[in-house]
Amino acid sequence: MAVLEIKDLKITYTTRKGSARAVDGVSFTIGEGEYLGIVGESGCGKSTLAKAILGVLPPAGRVSGGEILYKGEDLAKLDERGLNRLRWKEIALIPQSAMNGFDPVYRITEQIEEAIDAHDTWPAERKKARIEEMFALVGLERSRLNDYPHQFSGGMRQRAMIAMALVLDPTLVVADEPTTGLDVIVQDQILYRIKQIHDRLRKTMLLITHDMPVVSENCDKIVVMYAGKIMEYGGKAVFRTPYHPYTLGLCNAFPDLGGEARDLISIPKSPPDLLSPPPGCRFASRCPFATDECRKAEPPMREVQPGHVAACHHLDQVERFRREAAEPDTWRRVA
Amino acid sequence: MTGFRRYLLRRLVLFFFVIVAVLTILFAILRILPGDPTSIFVDSNFSEEMVRQQRVLWGLDDPWWVQYLRYMRNMLTFDFGRSFFQNQPVSEIILEKLGNTAAMIIPSVIISVILGATLGSWLGWKRGTKREALTVFLLLFARSTPSFFVGIVVLMIFSYWLGWFPPGGMVSIGGGGDSFWSTVFSLDFLHHLILPMLVLMTREVTSPALLLRSTMLEVRGSDFLEILRAKGLPEKRIMVHATRNALLPLVTDIAVMMGFIFQGQVLLEIIFAWPGIGRELVTALGDLDYPIVQAAFYVMALTILTFNLVADLLYGVIDPRVVYD
Amino acid sequence: MQEKLADSGGPTAAAARPPVRKTGFGRRIGRLLGGFTSSLATIASYPTGAAGLAIIAFFVVLALSAPWVAPHAPFDVLTGESKQLLRLKPPSAAAPFGTTNQSMDVFSQVIWGSRIALLVGLTAAVGSAVLGTLIGLFSGYFGGRTDDILMRITDVAFGIPFLPFALVILSITGPSLAIIITLIVCFLWRTTARVVRSQVLTLRQRPFIWAARAAGTSELKILFVHIAPNVLPLMFLYMAIGVQAGVMLEAALAFLGFGDPNLISWGRMLNLAFKAGAVRTAWWWVLPPGLSLSLFVIAIFMVTRAYEEALNPRLRQM
Repeated sequence: MAVLEIKDLKITYTTRKGSARAVDGVSFTIGEGEYLGIVGESGCGKSTLAKAILGVLPPAGRVSGGEILYKGEDLAKLDERGLNRLRWKEIALIPQSAMNGFDPVYRITEQIEEAIDAHDTWPAERKKARIEEMFALVGLERSRLNDYPHQFSGGMRQRAMIAMALVLDPTLVVADEPTTGLDVIVQDQILYRIKQIHDRLRKTMLLITHDMPVVSENCDKIVVMYAGKIMEYGGKAVFRTPYHPYTLGLCNAFPDLGGEARDLISIPKSPPDLLSPPPGCRFASRCPFATDECRKAEPPMREVQPGHVAACHHLDQVERFRREAAEPDTWRRVA
Repeated sequence: MTGFRRYLLRRLVLFFFVIVAVLTILFAILRILPGDPTSIFVDSNFSEEMVRQQRVLWGLDDPWWVQYLRYMRNMLTFDFGRSFFQNQPVSEIILEKLGNTAAMIIPSVIISVILGATLGSWLGWKRGTKREALTVFLLLFARSTPSFFVGIVVLMIFSYWLGWFPPGGMVSIGGGGDSFWSTVFSLDFLHHLILPMLVLMTREVTSPALLLRSTMLEVRGSDFLEILRAKGLPEKRIMVHATRNALLPLVTDIAVMMGFIFQGQVLLEIIFAWPGIGRELVTALGDLDYPIVQAAFYVMALTILTFNLVADLLYGVIDPRVVYD
Repeated sequence: MQEKLADSGGPTAAAARPPVRKTGFGRRIGRLLGGFTSSLATIASYPTGAAGLAIIAFFVVLALSAPWVAPHAPFDVLTGESKQLLRLKPPSAAAPFGTTNQSMDVFSQVIWGSRIALLVGLTAAVGSAVLGTLIGLFSGYFGGRTDDILMRITDVAFGIPFLPFALVILSITGPSLAIIITLIVCFLWRTTARVVRSQVLTLRQRPFIWAARAAGTSELKILFVHIAPNVLPLMFLYMAIGVQAGVMLEAALAFLGFGDPNLISWGRMLNLAFKAGAVRTAWWWVLPPGLSLSLFVIAIFMVTRAYEEALNPRLRQM
């Protein structure tokens, strides 16, 4: 059975200006030991998705449809008590905000112990030994066990966060843009630690990022999200042989994916306002290949290869799209 | 810790500097401004010789800087001399009155802080409701109402009209215990304390409540609360984290509050005939009893400064993030 | 004293003008007054602000028209038909708020008292806001030794307990309104100075200040032309707090018996009433001045609250 199965999930934010569907009909599954990556520009709903899985949506947001099945149990229907049973023990989070993810007035160790205490009653020695083990795993010195969060650098805090996420040996680890705000070298270190979690501890993982090379290197399954919807979903082939114009556009923005040295092209314009999303394909306004049909009707999700789906009206023209998408002039047409 | 030591040293130097400055101002006011303190007890019947004796006795014929140094030494060693009219050392009088003032302030502040902080964190947690908005407005309202008028009205209603509480004083005539402590823990004292304490509280409760509400709002928006939820902690435990963070600024607030109350206390002590230090100052001013005036003023200034110092130092102790550079 | 915020009358704005050079002098006053009227409009757009402004306007009208509205001069002794003194009479048609123990009309005294409240509030607020702003500007902008000296003076000012200090001074000099106002100014400037200083410290780092300096603008010109206008909203805010604090402090001093004996103020009425034991016997003597004082102070509070919300939109959601 799949560890996590998201079915037609809808998440709505209610603001004073109206309601916005940050996640709109998203479905995917993660099997035991799989590593799934979700990519997309900021604001596409990927972080909202992570929060929904752990049931920590801000007060304005709520799951308005669909299911989040964890080992067959719908998390969206659980109350706080039910969620607390699964949180951290089964599903742990490596958050985006490592800098402020720890309570500044408690020691790091106290905060990790607190996570253990919320779910188990371990003797003090066992807790201490386990935390030391975790510190060693993420490469933190034992002498720093009694430090306060502010005594750690950003990278160390994120490593401590990883240590805390793994302390209860959870089944599923959700990493929500774990390298935000860190400098490049530290980012690599953190990503290396996270990769280890998958390789060595065989955890089921969900990585949320806008860093396509990382996803393409590490993940078994890839979800490309745009404006609350899935554009393309499949195995590593999603980036090797993309079908959706949006994925093509994203690939252009990263040098090592295309293989050859060429100018990087970024997709002009910005995503639509989710308070009043356009009818039809959400990417239509930025898509160089969009037709009237795209602007009127929403494209259905179609299988292009076994286990690889994309939501585009013109999948039949994909060869031409791939050729033209490599030309900067194509994208200039949009702008 | 060296950073803290350097900070402590700097802070203490400033503390001392301000005390000396305040004392100097007081000296200047009392000696350089027109008005000779001896004129109070020297009347026209005194002979030239007697007047001169008095001046020598009080050291008024010395050059001003000798007087100044002597005054400084006396003040800094809490040697306030004797009262002109009460046959008692000033330090004894001041200590007694200060104790009486503290006996009203301390319980009021403790209760106000507990009530206010609880109310404030509740308000911060439940923001956006109608009831919350109304409570906040009422708090702000209470804070801007002149509390001495509130005191007068309370006295009028509960003491004179309803007769529930005594109209003033700290104990009934002939009441009270043999010592300060047995007095303070007597029912008679409590009976006298309730009205002024309530008036003091209507104002003092607002500050921690409003402060805690706004820091709670800040803390609520912080990222670590989301992680605490994700960790599967029960709501209560999360509240503990939030409150602990929100409480930090309160410590400073309490100390500053104490300082302010000690000086604003004068009004309430007059209204409720409370034999505290503020009332003593006003009485001494009326009697022109300068040794008491200067000691009372000095002690009140010292109280404010000490509380401010404590606030600054305490903040570093309870918040691990504070760095001294 | 807890500090809060607001805005006051037209003359304050003109008086608060920093001493800029002659160039663009009129234009700057115009801008200042423009900013002032627009902040009044902002305040009035809040229900509490509008109510506060209305109450203040009522008191202003009352104070200005006191000679015509008040049936008697403040110290007139009322007598009955057979020339007997009307001591401590409860409210009646002749004296709507009753009389004092010296047969004076409480109603008239309350009306005359509004003049003192407005006078003290306004002058103390303007004086302290201007003084505090100037000190804050110099301290924050020039830094170094200037800052050290000014901030140590501020520290000392914070170490002086106001009420006791004022009582000592007044008992030596004898009570007078001018001295009371001076004392209040000496007490209120310190908070304004600290707040303005920290604002200036951040303003000093802004690119437009670097640009002005790079262009060779003189230091004083940068300070008063480029920085000062940016701290004006803060100054207005503290001026409004000052009105409230000033009125309260005058009332407190007068209540303690240190009010100007030649004038009647609400605080002094309360002092006389309290001394005469009216709290027990003559509620009509106690409540009118007390309620007027509270109403006036709360009206200023409502205005400051609205102004504060307008300046700091975050408050609106809070």
